[in-house]
Formats: sequence, structure tokens, C-alpha cells
Amino acid sequence: MTEPLTATEKTSDNPILWVAKPMVTAARQFARSLLHPSTVVYPFERLEDPKFRTEVGIESGKPIGVGPIWDNYRGVHALNIDTCISCNLCAFSCPDLCIDMVTVPGGDPKHPKKCPQIDYGKCSYCGFCSDACPEGCLSMTTRYELSVHSRREMVFPPEKLFGIYQQKLPMNPIRVERPANEDRIVLEPPLCIGCNACSRDCPTNCITMMEIPKPEAKPGEKLPKRIWKEPVINDSDCVRCGTCISVCPKECLFWGSRK
Amino acid sequence: MWINMGPQHPMTHGLWNLRVKIDGELITDCDPEMGYLHRGIEKISEDRHYNEVITLMDRTCYVAGFAWEHLYVLAAEEALHIQPPERAEYLRTLCEEFQRIGSHLMWYAAFVQDIGLMSPFLYGMRDRDLVLDLFQSYTGARMTYEYMRVGGVRNDLPPGFTGHARKVLDWLSDRFVEYDRLCLGSDIFRKRCDGLGVLSAADCVATGVTGPMLRSAGVKRDVRRDRPYAAYPQLDFDVAVADGADVTARYLVRMEEMRQSVRLLRQVLDWLDHHPGPVLADRLPRWLGAPYAPVGKEEYVLKRNYPKGVGFSSIEEPHGEAQAYVVNEGSEHPYRVKFRSPVFANLSATRHYLVGYRVADIPPIMGSVDICVGEVDR
Repeated sequence: MTEPLTATEKTSDNPILWVAKPMVTAARQFARSLLHPSTVVYPFERLEDPKFRTEVGIESGKPIGVGPIWDNYRGVHALNIDTCISCNLCAFSCPDLCIDMVTVPGGDPKHPKKCPQIDYGKCSYCGFCSDACPEGCLSMTTRYELSVHSRREMVFPPEKLFGIYQQKLPMNPIRVERPANEDRIVLEPPLCIGCNACSRDCPTNCITMMEIPKPEAKPGEKLPKRIWKEPVINDSDCVRCGTCISVCPKECLFWGSRK
Repeated sequence: MWINMGPQHPMTHGLWNLRVKIDGELITDCDPEMGYLHRGIEKISEDRHYNEVITLMDRTCYVAGFAWEHLYVLAAEEALHIQPPERAEYLRTLCEEFQRIGSHLMWYAAFVQDIGLMSPFLYGMRDRDLVLDLFQSYTGARMTYEYMRVGGVRNDLPPGFTGHARKVLDWLSDRFVEYDRLCLGSDIFRKRCDGLGVLSAADCVATGVTGPMLRSAGVKRDVRRDRPYAAYPQLDFDVAVADGADVTARYLVRMEEMRQSVRLLRQVLDWLDHHPGPVLADRLPRWLGAPYAPVGKEEYVLKRNYPKGVGFSSIEEPHGEAQAYVVNEGSEHPYRVKFRSPVFANLSATRHYLVGYRVADIPPIMGSVDICVGEVDR
């Protein structure tokens, strides 16, 4: 644009026109509002109703500016407890720290099954947890009505989230591709004591303890006291949750890059 | 006599206080007080992972969340030496231009209500809802999108999106004509706004005022044109300037910017139709992806392996020129994040465009500034 903008509309000295000219436009808008209403009578009509789901809402007979609740709406979570592998990734990725991993029945006593419990008083509905879920068992639904009578009711235990899952609400169809990366868990062998903690706690059972040969003790040297086994990690099954790193008593597992 | 307009006042559009010294009806001095909405976003960012900061950016400015997400990810990508795919850059441009329309419509609604027009307020809010519905169709939320990621965007557009978007653009283009007829064609509006709040080009430059306020004074300065980023180098558009430097000129500039945004968006939608591709860079650092587990010796490993860097970005936000500075010291958190808010500078210059006018002129003048206190205080 080369010319600076100026107001080109004509002005007049007649005060009746001052009022009448805008009223013409307002009358046109009023006539249009009869054709395209802009209101949803909420408790009786809902945005999920099929009548709002067809178009963006500017066709004849459709309300203006009333979009549907699309299936990828980020509302209350639904959790499929049966497929949850207790990998903690949802809790790790939560920016608001509103997810706690709590024990649910179903695991063995030594290795209890833990599933996310979400405090909706803190949740910001960012969707990072459902993006992070490697099994697709935590997803967000189109449910948005959350009035409760006390703060305690804002905390949804896994059973309640499973109840939402069983209602079969529309769920976010967009599965975010997890970015490919070359990182994997590597072992620093001299520190390992073969304690089996990583293999025991791995959510996907991708760590197996392989026997390693016991070295010959040289004269005057004492062999370390350990179990002669080392973890071997199956990278294709690994979900990179880092549980093994956090349980390792000797801190001999850490993130490394594949050569 | 000093009077307080704010922090709870219909003129303020948020929590800030404008103290004005009056002599009868005449304003002789004024003193803006900001800081009522300070949330420490820059400091909180230092304790978060790079992608988690994006959740704060939507809350920085609640009417222009996409612009702030874009600002942050541009700086973070430069600091982390990441190049996003080309389709992601176009998608970000799409988000930012739609956000500009949404933000300007929000400004239009609030501004006309400041000068006492109720019907255009409803029209502006109604048409802004179309833009928000488009956002919801691909991000899942209407205001807090959390859509951009360092290294790209979260997901691609749903099928049929570009057709819907074109319909919305056609609808909006027709409405802009009506807005002009309703406001510029009304003598009451013109008598209320012409010649008010004049801020000359020299004062704009001296006080750091940017955005539509600067362009309304005749200075042709737009970051999208002067220092292009994302997909703007490939797109064709004009920079809207006016020379009145008053409230009417700011109205004209913003209306023309919306028309230019429509023009930009048509080009972006055409490109997106014909160029499928990835939307997230591959080979990102593991701790940038959605799942990561910050435990163990990670800090040590990162400090040893990952290159350090600093990133600076500058974008044309709907309110003006916003800037961000991110320092990467090799850990998984940004070492320092700093933002420059355009509205802070625009508000700090109140003394230059309020003194000499009447008390009743304050609502139209401040309405034409387009205040978003969320980004002023951060």
C-alpha cells in the first residue's frame, strides 16, 4: 500500500442522519440474525448436538459463531485401566503437577499397579499427558461439565476416569506422533550389581537379566560382591519412561545416544 | 487533583491503574501504574522444560495466545539449534494471522463499547467466535491452544479445514465493510474520535511505541516485512499505514490489517492444500518430545553433550512488536527467558497522548491503544 489510509465515508450536518445511517446497518444485521441466530439455548440445546456439528455455522439456518464441540476437544480425561502400564509418563509430562500415580487393585503385592489420579482443580487441559501416553490409554474426551460441591470432589481417582472411559464419549482422534529420537537407556557396566530392580519395575517388561561370566580373581584382588547378571534392554519395546533409571540403586543406568 | 481510573474501572480492560491529574475537565498530567497482574511468568519458565513453557505463553496474552506461542518457539528453536519443517512454518503463519483477526475483532468490540456503541460490540464478538471455532477444530481448545511445539506444531489440520476456513474468510470480508459503514459512516463516531489522542511519529519513536499505534502515525514499520520470519518472506501483503495519528487513524489501520490478514490467509491456505509433509522436526532431543523422564544423571549428560546457545525472536504481535530472548545453558530448562511486551511501551507513553484532552476523552483514547494487561505484567 502506497497511500496512507484516510476515512473516505461522507459526513453530514443533519443530526437526523447521524442517527439514521448507523440504524440502517443495524437493521440489516437484525434481519440477518433472524436467518442466522447466534444463540444456543444451552441446557436445552448443546454444542454436541448433531445440528451444530455439520459446518462452521455460516450457512443459512445455522447459528453464526456457534461451532460444534469437535471430537478433538480437550475436556475431561478418560482412562482405560486395563491397558495402562503404569509407566508414569503422564505424571512426568504434566506442567501443573496435577497427576498422582495411585495404587489400583490388580497388581501383585510386590509390584503394585499404579494409575493416574487427576486433580481437576489444578489441571489446565493442555493435553501433554495424553500426548505422552505410549499405550493410548489416557485420552481426552468432549466432556466439559465439571461442577462439584467441594474441592475434594475435583480429584478424580483412576476408577472415576475409567468410568468416563466406559461412557464411550467421543475421544480425541488425533494421536500425536511421538518424535523419533536416537536416545536410549544405556548401562555403565562397572557399577552394576545385578540387583534386578530395573527388570522388576519395567512397565513393558523389556529388560531381561542376562548372565555374564564371572571373571577370574587375580591373586591379591577381591572380586566385588554382586550377582553376575546384567540388564539387556530391548529398545523396540522400550517406551523411554525412565522408571529403570529412577529405581537403580547404583545409578548405573542413564540416557545415552545410539552410536 | 489526582484521580484514579482503575484498577477496577470499565476503561482499563484489565487490572491496571491510570492516575490522571485534572484541572476541571482538562488533563494536565497522568501516571500509569502497572503490576497488578504480575504472575512471574519469566521466572516460572526457568523451572520448566522447553515445551512446558508453551502452556504459560497462552496465558501471557489471552486474546493473542498464538502470537506469544510463536514468539517463544522461534526464540527457543534458535537457542536449541532446531529447524522446523516448512509446513510447520506455514501452519504457524496461519495461526498467527487468524489470531490477528481474532484479536483485532476483540479490540473492535471493546473499543466501540468504550465509546458507547453496544450493537457493534455484539457483532464483533459474534464474528470472533468463528475464528475461535476454527482454532478449536484443530487444536482442541478455544483460547489456551498449546498447539506449537519447539521444532514444529502438535498436529496437522483436520480434513476439510481449509474449506471451512475459506468460508469464514469470505464471511468476515463482508462484515468488515459493515463495520466501516457502522463506525466511519456515523457522524457521531467521527465527531467523538477525530483528532483525539494524537501521538506524533517522533513521539512514537522516542517512547518505543510499536504496532498499529506507530503505523497510524505514518511510520511504515512492520516486523513481518522488515525482519521476516516463518513463512512471511514467501507471502504477499501490504503494510497498513495512516497519517492521522489519532483514534480514527488507529481504527483505520487495524481494519486494514484485518483485510491484509485475510489476503495472507488465502495464500497460506492455498499453499497448505498442495504441500503435505511432516509438521514436527525429526531427531529432536529426547527431553523435548512429549514424553520424557527427568531423572538420574540427565543433567550431567546434557551439559556434556548438548550445544549451548541463545535465541532471539521478534514478531509482529497484534498489539505491536514483541520480542523474546531465551538462553540455553545446555540443560533441559531454559536458563533465562525474557519477553518484551509491546503494550507495556504503549501504555508507558500515556503522558504523550493523554495530556491536553478532557476526562471524557480517556475511554476512546485508551480503547484505541488495545490494552492486554496479561502481557504487560506477565
